[in-house]
Order: sequence, then structure tokens, then C-alpha cells
Amino acid sequence: MDGSEIGGGGAKQPVIDFDHYRQRSLSESDRAWRDLRKECPVAWTEANGGHWVVSRYQEVASAFKDWEAFSSARVDPDVSSLSVGNLRIPPLYPEELDPPQWHPLRRILSELLSPGAVQRLQPRIAHWVTYAIDQVIESGRCDMTDDIACPIPAAVSLELLGFPQSDWERISNAFHGTGSFDRTTPEFAQALADVAWVGTRVREELLERLEHPRDDAMSFIVSHDVDGHQIALSDAEAVVLLVVGGGVDTTTSLTSSALLYLGRHPELRSRFLDDPAILDSGTEEFLRMYPPARTHARIAVRDIDLGGCHIAAGDRVLLSEVSACHDESAFPDADQFIVDRFPNRHVAFGLGIHRCPGSHLARAQFKEIMRQVVVRMPDYRLHQEQIVEYPNWSSIGGWARMPATFSPGRRLL
Amino acid sequence: MRVRVDTQLCTGHALCHLQGPDVYVLNDLGFNETDPINVPEELWEQARRGALACPEGAIVIEEDRGDIS
Repeated sequence: MDGSEIGGGGAKQPVIDFDHYRQRSLSESDRAWRDLRKECPVAWTEANGGHWVVSRYQEVASAFKDWEAFSSARVDPDVSSLSVGNLRIPPLYPEELDPPQWHPLRRILSELLSPGAVQRLQPRIAHWVTYAIDQVIESGRCDMTDDIACPIPAAVSLELLGFPQSDWERISNAFHGTGSFDRTTPEFAQALADVAWVGTRVREELLERLEHPRDDAMSFIVSHDVDGHQIALSDAEAVVLLVVGGGVDTTTSLTSSALLYLGRHPELRSRFLDDPAILDSGTEEFLRMYPPARTHARIAVRDIDLGGCHIAAGDRVLLSEVSACHDESAFPDADQFIVDRFPNRHVAFGLGIHRCPGSHLARAQFKEIMRQVVVRMPDYRLHQEQIVEYPNWSSIGGWARMPATFSPGRRLL
Repeated sequence: MRVRVDTQLCTGHALCHLQGPDVYVLNDLGFNETDPINVPEELWEQARRGALACPEGAIVIEEDRGDIS
């Protein structure tokens, strides 16, 4: 790369043997990040075409906040800028845009997903949580992932956008797959094909709404003005895809991790029942312990020093939210779940201009799921030996299978 | 005590409001739009917790005295 030697030295050091795509379990991933944080908080790896790896809170936070140096803008129209290693998916806007193009599209999501808008969605959130639990409550058995963690965020986000219910499962599985399957497997290839199918569906739905606007988020997005003109169709597609990709699998990941933790710590379930206010700090602590988006990539657009390393313009940089969230220098007893931890300035939603615009919706859904689960399935027991985790913890972690039994109850709807 | 919000740093996490609902004012998009104000003593705890909760470090607390616990 021509620019990489500009600005003095040019040596990329220290060099480590590190590839986060090799992290095949939660414990393996956590251990790898812990070692790196301790020994080399900023380091260069030749893996995935070569990139920096940033693992300490201070440097992760400062890089997230400095969008002028660390850009997330799309460079190759076919390849994601949000991960390293050539992930070929359609663009996600506004996350893959820098200002000034970022601003009007971000504004759309800020309006759509504002705290007030989420409050107005609360009855729909409560409905879908009740509905999902209703489907299993009489039987006394369920899979916490398939029956609770997956369908609820999918229903809430895809209903908000306006997709027909018949599409929900396939859409949710597509993004789930690109985040969780090994990149060498047929399942991953299938997930990529499914994401392309989602792109096609988004275009069809948006074209339909240009003709016949409805009271849904896809109509809102496609009819929105950008700098005095109606938004370009391709930009609207990229915004919808971000809402889908950011909405369906991330909250699923957080929910499955929390239900696993609660499955192993029944005393915390009782605490949530007795003192629902503790759920606020508990939610932040679940986010810190199990950030759904574990890493995000950036590209340096100018030479910059970070953690004593010289990063050159053009270098790829991998920022680890999960490592920052577990950094002992920022969080005392970082490996302990402390339900009332405060302060808790975790970076699970990122920081700076690209911080997750769906954070308010994610928190509202997560809290509602927790509230209803501890009330309606207070004695659920996980079948530990049948729990299956995602095959890869590089970008999104989570639990693929989590069978549980509980005292049967009555439907509410 | 006074609170000052750096609106350039605020990105709308809205966590200040959760900790200090009587101190911090959010606009419709969830961004902190609190005018620099003198905080009455009964709200100092809310003000401090709101500032500590901000992951962007966008809230500055200016204490009147150095001896406040």
C-alpha cells in the first residue's frame, strides 16, 4: 500500500500472531483478548490481509470517538468495511459513511429509534414477548434461543420496518448466519446468499412503498428528504439493511447470553423479581459482560499514534468492544458480573458518531424479555449438557441451542 | 454545583437521563440539551451519577466547594 510508509518509520510493531476468526468458543475468545490486552494493547497482525488489533479500553474508546482518523466508510462497494477479511455483503448506512454524507441518514435513524419512539413501541414489544412465551408456556419446555431470544427481536424490528410476517424467520436467520457460522462452511455460504436475498426483498418492499406508502418504517425511510431531495433508493436500502442487520441478531445474542447466565444464577432471577429497578444496572452489566458486537473494523485515513504505535494512513484497524468491556483498568473485577455496577461506561454500543442508534430499542426489548421471563418462567432450568454455542465468537457471539424446562403456565393472549 | 454538557461529545446514549431525570433534559432525539445550570443541593447526587454514566464523557460537573463528599 503506497500510503503506509508515509509519516515516519512505517514499521508496524509489535507484530503478533493473532486471528480473531480462530476464536471458536466464548472462553477461548475471552482468554485470547485477555492475553492480548495484557501484553500488547495495540499490535499488528498479518492475519486477514494485515491489520492492527486494539484491545484496551482507552485506545478502543479514543479510536471509536475519532471518526476523522478512523473511518468506517465503505471503500469497496462489495466488501464490508465493518469487519476485516473480505466479508462480501451489501453496504449498511449510515454506519459505513463518514460525515457529511453520514449526517442526514443518521438523522433518519435517530428519529425512527429515539427514546420517545421506542416508548411508543413499548406495547408492541410487550405483545411480542408475551406472544413468544405463550407459544411454549403450556408445554413447560422450550429452547431459550429458538423460542425466545431469536423470534422476539426479529418480530419487533421487522414489524416496525413493515416486512410481512412470512419473511421474518428467513431474514433473521440470514444475518444470524453471517455472524455465527465459520467462513469456510456451506452454512456460511448459504447465509451470504440469504443476505443477498434480503437485499432483494428490501428493494421490492421499498419500491412498493414508493407507490403505496404505509404507516411503517420502510415508508418513512424511503420517503425521507436528504439535503432537499428524496433519498436515493440505494441509500434507503442500505439504511433498511442496517436496521435489519443491527436489529435482529444483536439483541438475540445479548438475550441468549443473559438467559444462560440467569439459568446458572437463579438467585439473580429472584432479585429481578423482588427489585425490578435493579434491571436497569443489570442490563448495562449484561451488555458489558456479553457485548453482542464483539469487534468492529475501521480504516485509518491519516497517520496517527495510538497506544504508542504508529498507525499509517490506509491501515486497517480492528477495535474490540468485548476486550474493552473486560479491561481491568476500566472496570474493577472486570470478569465478575456485578448487577449494580456503577459507573459502567461500557462500549457495547460503540462510542462516537456511529454508536448504535438502536440502543434504546435494544434495551427496551431486553428489559421486557427479562421482566416477563422471570415472572412467567421463574423456575426454568437449562439442560446444560445440550447447550450449543455459536461456532465463532469473532464478530457476534451467542448461543445456538439452549433447551430448558419449567413449570407450565397459562397463555395470556 | 453546575453541570455543563459538551454537545459536541453527546451522541444520544440518554444514560444521563436515566440516572438524573430531574437534572438532565433530553431533546426529541435523546440528546442532552441541558442548559448550564446551578444544581440545587437535593439533586447533586442525580447530577453526579448522570455525569458518571455518560460513556462519552460529555458532562462536566463544576463543584462549588472542594469538600463535598
